[in-house]
Amino acid sequence: MSTTSQKHRDFVGEPMGDKSVTSLSGIGEILGKKLEQQGFDKAYVVLGQFLLLKKDSEMFSEWLKDASGANSRQAGSCSQCLREWCDSFL
Amino acid sequence: MPLREKSDQELSKLLSEYGIKHGPIVDSTRKLYEKKLEEAMEDAPVEVPSPDKTFYREEVEEVTYITYHHSPVRQEVNSDVVRRRGNAEPDKEEEPLQYTEPPVQISKRTANHSAAPGIKESGCSVWKGVRLLLLLAVLAAAVYYAYCRVVNNEEDPFGIQ
Repeated sequence: MSTTSQKHRDFVGEPMGDKSVTSLSGIGEILGKKLEQQGFDKAYVVLGQFLLLKKDSEMFSEWLKDASGANSRQAGSCSQCLREWCDSFL
Repeated sequence: MPLREKSDQELSKLLSEYGIKHGPIVDSTRKLYEKKLEEAMEDAPVEVPSPDKTFYREEVEEVTYITYHHSPVRQEVNSDVVRRRGNAEPDKEEEPLQYTEPPVQISKRTANHSAAPGIKESGCSVWKGVRLLLLLAVLAAAVYYAYCRVVNNEEDPFGIQ
């Protein structure tokens, strides 16, 4: 049983287009800034990284923690968000 | 060699060896995979060893026993050789002589005498013994007959009793 946030439902319900990285579930302002500094300024770039890691949630979470300093909960949330989006639109 | 200096392909190979499922090794993923490998190496410091086994095979050797028969034929052959040579040094008698018959008898040969070619070979040793006894009996009879003839030849011819 997973309780998804509104942010999550907003993201997975439609194609992401040019949405900002902060629109991803689990990614707030601080984490967003960190990712932008590394070149991940749009949600689709983070999606690109997720796909490079072969849509492996564990791998992606680990990467996100290293790259942005996210904790387990935040990383897990983002990972799940992207996975569900892929299930619907990829 | 530290992981950082390894090529992408080498890294990929190492990841596979440690059973780590991975995607392409690019700039953004490299650091992560290096970290994963370091963790895996700490857990299992022994690398996958290359198979380097030497196999020892026990070979069964077939031993054949060869017996040499020094029959008196040798002496005759020796003289033949000396005569044939003529001016050749008779001192060198120990040179390889040409035997008319091969003195080597390989014991692998079974006692399949050609005395009874008509008899079918059953392969049983009992029948071989029986055949041998029969042969001996026939020989004994022939010898006895000849002896009798020789003895009787002095007086009356054999047969008239």
